Amino acid sequence: MPSQLDPPTNTTSVDGQETPLVVALLGNPNTGKSTLFTALAGIPTRVGNYPGVTVEEKRGQFTHQSSRIELIDLPGIYSLIPRSPDEDVAMAVLEGRQEGSPKIDCVVVLADATSLERNCYLVSQALALGLPVVVALTLVDLAADRGISVDHATLASRLGCPVIPVIAPQRDGLAPLADAIVATTKQSPPAAPTIHPEQIDDPNGHSPAALEAMARYRWIEQLLDGVVKQTPTTRWSLEERIDAVLTHRVAGTFVFIAVMLTVFSSIFWAAAPIMDLFSGAVDSVAGFLQARLPEGAVRSLLVDGVVAGVGGVVVFLPQIAMLFLFVSILEGCGYLARAAYLMDRLLVGVGLSGRSFIPLLSSFACAIPGIMATRTIENRRDRLVTILVAPLMSCSARLPVYVLLTAAFVPNTPVAGLPWLRLQAVVLASMYALGVVVAAIVAAILSRTVFRGPPQPFVMELPGWRWPQLMVVLERVREACWSFLSAAGTLIVAVSIVVWALASYPYSIEAIDAEVAREKVSLTERVESLADDTSAAAADLREELTDQLTLLNTEEGLEAARRGAASRQSFLGRAGRLIEPVVRPLGWDWRIGCAAIASFPAREVVLGTLGVIYNLGEVDPGEEEGSNMLIRRLRAATWDGSNRPVFTLPVALSIMVFFALCAQCASTLVVIGKETGSWVWPLVTFSYMTGLAWIGALLTYQLGTALL
Amino acid sequence: MTSLDRVPVGFSARVTRVVGDDPATLRLLEMGLTPGLTLRVAGMAPLGDPIELELRGYRLSIRRREAARIEVEVVETAQVALAGV
Repeated sequence: MPSQLDPPTNTTSVDGQETPLVVALLGNPNTGKSTLFTALAGIPTRVGNYPGVTVEEKRGQFTHQSSRIELIDLPGIYSLIPRSPDEDVAMAVLEGRQEGSPKIDCVVVLADATSLERNCYLVSQALALGLPVVVALTLVDLAADRGISVDHATLASRLGCPVIPVIAPQRDGLAPLADAIVATTKQSPPAAPTIHPEQIDDPNGHSPAALEAMARYRWIEQLLDGVVKQTPTTRWSLEERIDAVLTHRVAGTFVFIAVMLTVFSSIFWAAAPIMDLFSGAVDSVAGFLQARLPEGAVRSLLVDGVVAGVGGVVVFLPQIAMLFLFVSILEGCGYLARAAYLMDRLLVGVGLSGRSFIPLLSSFACAIPGIMATRTIENRRDRLVTILVAPLMSCSARLPVYVLLTAAFVPNTPVAGLPWLRLQAVVLASMYALGVVVAAIVAAILSRTVFRGPPQPFVMELPGWRWPQLMVVLERVREACWSFLSAAGTLIVAVSIVVWALASYPYSIEAIDAEVAREKVSLTERVESLADDTSAAAADLREELTDQLTLLNTEEGLEAARRGAASRQSFLGRAGRLIEPVVRPLGWDWRIGCAAIASFPAREVVLGTLGVIYNLGEVDPGEEEGSNMLIRRLRAATWDGSNRPVFTLPVALSIMVFFALCAQCASTLVVIGKETGSWVWPLVTFSYMTGLAWIGALLTYQLGTALL
Repeated sequence: MTSLDRVPVGFSARVTRVVGDDPATLRLLEMGLTPGLTLRVAGMAPLGDPIELELRGYRLSIRRREAARIEVEVVETAQVALAGV
């Protein structure tokens, strides 16, 4: 909470008449805008998208000397000449023509003191808006370390507007900034700078816009003459040295790989204990309800529908938080841009740019923020291709599917005699690699066919090295978790309940008992038909069938058979049987088909659905490693009418490959629709991904069966 | 007179002309790559592209393709500050 400023209030002012001052925060990317926003307004009161576009709208409120101030955070941009959605929205908000946005009373333009010339470009454009302007001179501490000093008083008098140095992380200069905001709204706006494009000596016939850009820089050079002083220091050379190592051809690549490996393994290993804690808590709630509630539809709904669904949501939070923690730290210290720089050449090869790296990397957490992050890609073609392949990156929703199936069905044996390289890890890494490779192929094909055209310009700032701001990092983590819980979470719980209902109804105990009785008869008949056969195989089969028959006569066995019959007779069972011919070549039984259908809204639902569908009774409880309820259920699953296990290694791999490539995520498809402004692209995405997933799963199962 | 993509890493050059008149040109100008500016080629990505420039107190990366549109004259040789790295 602000210390020098009054805390934000959510109530209207005492007299009930005063409307808040609306202040827009405008600035280049990497100027500390998020830090300043957090320092001024704390947690945003509103985070969402502007209508019709997926440019983030972030608003907050604070009170300064009885003035209520509404802060609107505009996207980070370099110019007010609109050529990207971010620039469009910023300009529309500033000109008061953005739907749902209030009229702006004052523009705070952030200017990074370390690169004031470039930052003043946006300042000069903002001065022409006819709105009161306050320049917040940010990163003055970093500038001082580099030996840069800015005479802000002279700058203010030359610009005709207040220039307030701020060190947002230390809350320095916030009160003077707020004072200046309140004061300028009572004065007339500053005069627009006089730019003289006609004075530019131009033998090359540039466009008026280009001449204006040149003239603006000429104006800036005069503006800053004598204002910015540079004294040599050692700090800059330290920064240069860091940069030289991290963008070095060899060292930089190694650091990059090390950083990415650290991030990846941290999500995987460090998040595990917290996830265990969460799932343990969910299990005990389920156990508590199981023990206290009477058997019946309500208990079933709560335990198998609600608790299972909630458990399936919260278990991802540690991973999401962990990934966003790393991504925000990397972004905050300036490494994400370096990563784009290092990776650009690689992505150009498949028709993308280094800018696609960040959206694609984010897609490893979730395709939704990844797809939204594509708005930083100026070019529509690059952006569309990135959007179309982003869902192929293995997101956190797939990870539980991979982890569960790997842990349950892939032996944890050393690979190639290396004790530290385990088969489970290799399989898991392969799933991620599969997504990347397929994405590269799809992107290359798309950019050479549907989206043919010349390569796009790549012009990217490499921000200075700095310490990431804790509050900004935490806010991003909080927001990521919250948006997951509120948007994806509710959907997943809802789907879990719907799936429970579809898998539980219609429920007729007569029909179920009749089916169990039929099963018994069929088993008896098969045992009798084998009586004359003296071969060893027949003897084995006879023994198996007799065992099943014996089991059916026990109370537990009868209960398991009843549950099986109930799910076979449910709506879901019928749907699964319908598509069985389609999934049979993948090695799947109709139950897996059901789970795949039910997982359309969100991939992770597949686990919950499998749990509900394979309600096959308990297996050996003494087995320590099979303590996870679902793993036990899956391992106990057999093909209908036999003891042959459904889940073998090839089947588990086939399911993993399917989920690596499929588009079973309604939220992603909705976001693609919104982002591209057309329902064609979600349809294209769903069709091509489902097709690839089916082919991939088919090849995996058929090859796996042939080889293993 | 040469183009920026041919300036070796560590060398400084003065921009004489930005060729072309499309959104990419405008973006380069907006980022401060205006005629008359002296900049330094600070580095090159591991795969040879893009390159890293130091200008107006900040670092900018552009592809060789864009760099080829920027006509420059080399003004001085490398500072040897990075010799130890």
